[in-house]
Amino acid sequence: MNLSRYHITRRTGDRRGFSFWSWIWFFLGALYFILPLYATLDFSLRMERDKISLLAYQKAFAAPEFLKTFIYSNVLAVITIFVSILVIVPAAYWIRLRLPEARRVIEYITILSIVIPAIVLAHGLNTVYGAPIKIPFTDVALTGAILNTRFGTNFVVVMGYTVLALPLMYRSIDTGMRTVDVLTLTEAAQSLGANWFTIITRVILPNLRGSLLSGALLTFAIVVGEVTISTVLYVQTFSPYLWLLGQHRAYEPAALSFASFLMIWASMGIIQLVTGGQGQTSSAR
Amino acid sequence: MANVSSHPQRISVAAYFHKWAGVVPFLLFAFFFLIWPSAKLMVDAFFDQTGHFTFSNLAELFENPTVVRAYKLSIQVSAVTALGGGIFGFLLAYSVTVGGLPRFLRSGLITFSAVASNFAGVPLAFAFVATLGRTGFITAVLKNLLGINIYDAGFNLYSFMGLSLAYMYFQFPLMVLIMAPALDALKREWREAAEILGATTLQYWWNIALPVLLPSILGTMFLLFANAFGAYATAYALTGGSLPLITIQLRAQIQGDVLHNPSLGYAMSMGMIIIMAISTLGYIWLQSRSERWLK
Amino acid sequence: MAYLTLSNISKQFGDSYAVENFNLDIEKGEFVSFLGPSGCGKTTTLRVVAGFEIPTSGMITLGGVDITDKAPNQRNVGMIFQAYALFPNMTVSQNIGFGLRIHKEPESAIKQRVDEMLSLINLEKHADKYPYQLSGGQQQRVALARALANRPQVLLLDEPLSALDAKIRVSLRAEIRAIQKRLGITAIFVTHDQEEALSISDRIVVMYEGKAEQVGTPFEIYNFPKTQFVANFVGSLNNADAEVLDPTNGLLSVDGVQFRTADAEMVNRRRGDKVRISIRPERFSFAAEPLKDNVVDCLIENITFLGSVVRIQVKIGNTKFNMDTFNNPFLDLPAIGSKEQVMCSKEAVLVLGTA
Repeated sequence: MNLSRYHITRRTGDRRGFSFWSWIWFFLGALYFILPLYATLDFSLRMERDKISLLAYQKAFAAPEFLKTFIYSNVLAVITIFVSILVIVPAAYWIRLRLPEARRVIEYITILSIVIPAIVLAHGLNTVYGAPIKIPFTDVALTGAILNTRFGTNFVVVMGYTVLALPLMYRSIDTGMRTVDVLTLTEAAQSLGANWFTIITRVILPNLRGSLLSGALLTFAIVVGEVTISTVLYVQTFSPYLWLLGQHRAYEPAALSFASFLMIWASMGIIQLVTGGQGQTSSAR
Repeated sequence: MANVSSHPQRISVAAYFHKWAGVVPFLLFAFFFLIWPSAKLMVDAFFDQTGHFTFSNLAELFENPTVVRAYKLSIQVSAVTALGGGIFGFLLAYSVTVGGLPRFLRSGLITFSAVASNFAGVPLAFAFVATLGRTGFITAVLKNLLGINIYDAGFNLYSFMGLSLAYMYFQFPLMVLIMAPALDALKREWREAAEILGATTLQYWWNIALPVLLPSILGTMFLLFANAFGAYATAYALTGGSLPLITIQLRAQIQGDVLHNPSLGYAMSMGMIIIMAISTLGYIWLQSRSERWLK
Repeated sequence: MAYLTLSNISKQFGDSYAVENFNLDIEKGEFVSFLGPSGCGKTTTLRVVAGFEIPTSGMITLGGVDITDKAPNQRNVGMIFQAYALFPNMTVSQNIGFGLRIHKEPESAIKQRVDEMLSLINLEKHADKYPYQLSGGQQQRVALARALANRPQVLLLDEPLSALDAKIRVSLRAEIRAIQKRLGITAIFVTHDQEEALSISDRIVVMYEGKAEQVGTPFEIYNFPKTQFVANFVGSLNNADAEVLDPTNGLLSVDGVQFRTADAEMVNRRRGDKVRISIRPERFSFAAEPLKDNVVDCLIENITFLGSVVRIQVKIGNTKFNMDTFNNPFLDLPAIGSKEQVMCSKEAVLVLGTA
């Protein structure tokens, strides 16, 4: 009887059999994901004949139209984020504190914003706000066509973006509130004598920093990448510009595309750091 | 609950308002910018040019060949990418969870999936043109290194095939992001219990793991379907509108009355909403079923 | 040769030993518990027997056959888990019959066996229910039936009661023991709850930091602990530092108070050695007549009513001792602060290790 044997890996066939196919799938997946990125990068570096250079990037970023549309998109994004927070945070907070019955309603609305495709929403916004708003069944106009003014258009566009970002922002904030247990925090703060304003600004919002940040970054990605509502409502934002650019030029669009990939990667990296691994999906299709 | 005490049943109007106060901005916002625009489209679908109530617009959805073709094409693309994206996405998720790949590969894949699903739209289209377009990287490599001209062989990036391939770039990640946690929820003890009762790995997967995961897999495929069906940006940027998906058709209709009947545009919207709703509901229902087993 | 033998089992993870040189012979039909705190190696050893962990060295034989190299699905052992691990997509009947179906038994035989098992665990009415519709205790019973349906040679139980409510734990452990006895099946039961181990085992292996501290019957483990750890882990114990006065006569001094011990350890000691002594609380009693060897003065410090037991905290010399006595509503308990005499036999004074 051999009493001391050294077993290394038994059942090797079993265990290794697993890992082999896993590597195959992973490799195929990596190939599929990386090749287009590589191709884009490669193409973007070849603006100068037979030379690798950043010329395409230089030209792209220097183009006045780029700066204009990019800043415009960013401004709209920031406003969208603010509107989202203003609309969602009180609601998410309320349903935890006072009105659990409303949770279902809120969640159905969130689902509704997923169900309605962006193009349909754009069509709807265009239809409703492209004409004067009348009192039902009469011809009395309350306002003119909101989309006729620049401000009105921007306003409706921001609202449209907010709808697109709604599911993500809501889930982000709701998860954040659950993790932090806002109910208990509020009760603790109340028992220590804080008023509502103090509670919201000094207890709730600071604890939601992580969710707010990740929601904000995702909203940025959505808004800057948004094409559907933007083109239907004729706002000159970044992505329509990028598309237009692609019709006339070859290298600069590739450069901007790769640059936007890097930006999204950076954003997701920040989100990972801040939320500790809660990857979120978006739907800028 | 902060305020549950022995209140008398009758609440005054002010208290009622106060009860709902925090939610009002949300509801107002949703009404004005989501519900009303969508409802208006759906309601207007029932009225013809002269303002009379009619079902003819809806009927035409099934009769107008352009529209029918558009729906069919969209459904086909969505189904193909849902199935393909679902299967390969599952395999990817499997490889980094149960499949035993190192941890860093798993976090890499998850982060990348989050990135890839946001990359969709114009940049994705350009990336694929740079890869598989007529002068694309892969096209060139295949032609120069292997002598294969894929365009001669019938491949075309700006077609059903090419678009589906591009769509996978956000379908795979979505599947991975949803299935990875589901695969994690498979209890290690199930595998061990099955093994100790005599089962092989294959028997475990066939009898236990796959049945348990099936609602989640199917449900997510429904989500993938909806994801692809409603997609506009990528398709438009890639094909410039040459591929008559329903979303592209609708856009054309908004821009100018290509169908010679604006009310038809409303009906198309309504049709899209219904299909999206069915798909999304399928996802939600199946997800709730899977939670029963995977909790 | 014993039915199940573990010879020199060691399991290393990196540099540290989860299990070190574990030896045990188990007879057929015996119920053995592995008892110890978290991290002591009891679960690892169990999983080595199951085949989920491969020992770094050592050998396992079952019924004379060396199974050290066999895969878990080849060993013919049964196992139940702390988390029940019932297959959620199958009914109770399907769960129980799973092993038989894997072994390709005919449907009629499966049905018969499943019915047998269902009546064994008294859940005939729940045959078509799904796990999520059952309580924790019911799920664990189904898990038991599922493991037993396969007619295993050994049943392994990995802390099966830890996830259950206190009352169910007590009734279920009795049920498990009854079924085990009835079927005559060999069983290894892993737990950190000493009451569980004491109440249902034929023998207990107390483990600590990967090693077996002591193997014995519950009676032996409790009354004659061999090491300080076993004495502390199993039951509650009074510990005190003492100095040896007279090894041949077993005399010790606990802070000036003289105690006599019958512990054989004393032969190894010399006068002046510092040792640790332990006395079980229930071995003290009030000195009615000076019958016992050790009669000492004490001060009553505190009285705690614990239900069937009354715990009295006394001070002997400068050392605090706990004294447990059975609750008797008609017996006068001394008042706090009063001076009394307590006694214990010399066999009750255990000498364990050095101070």
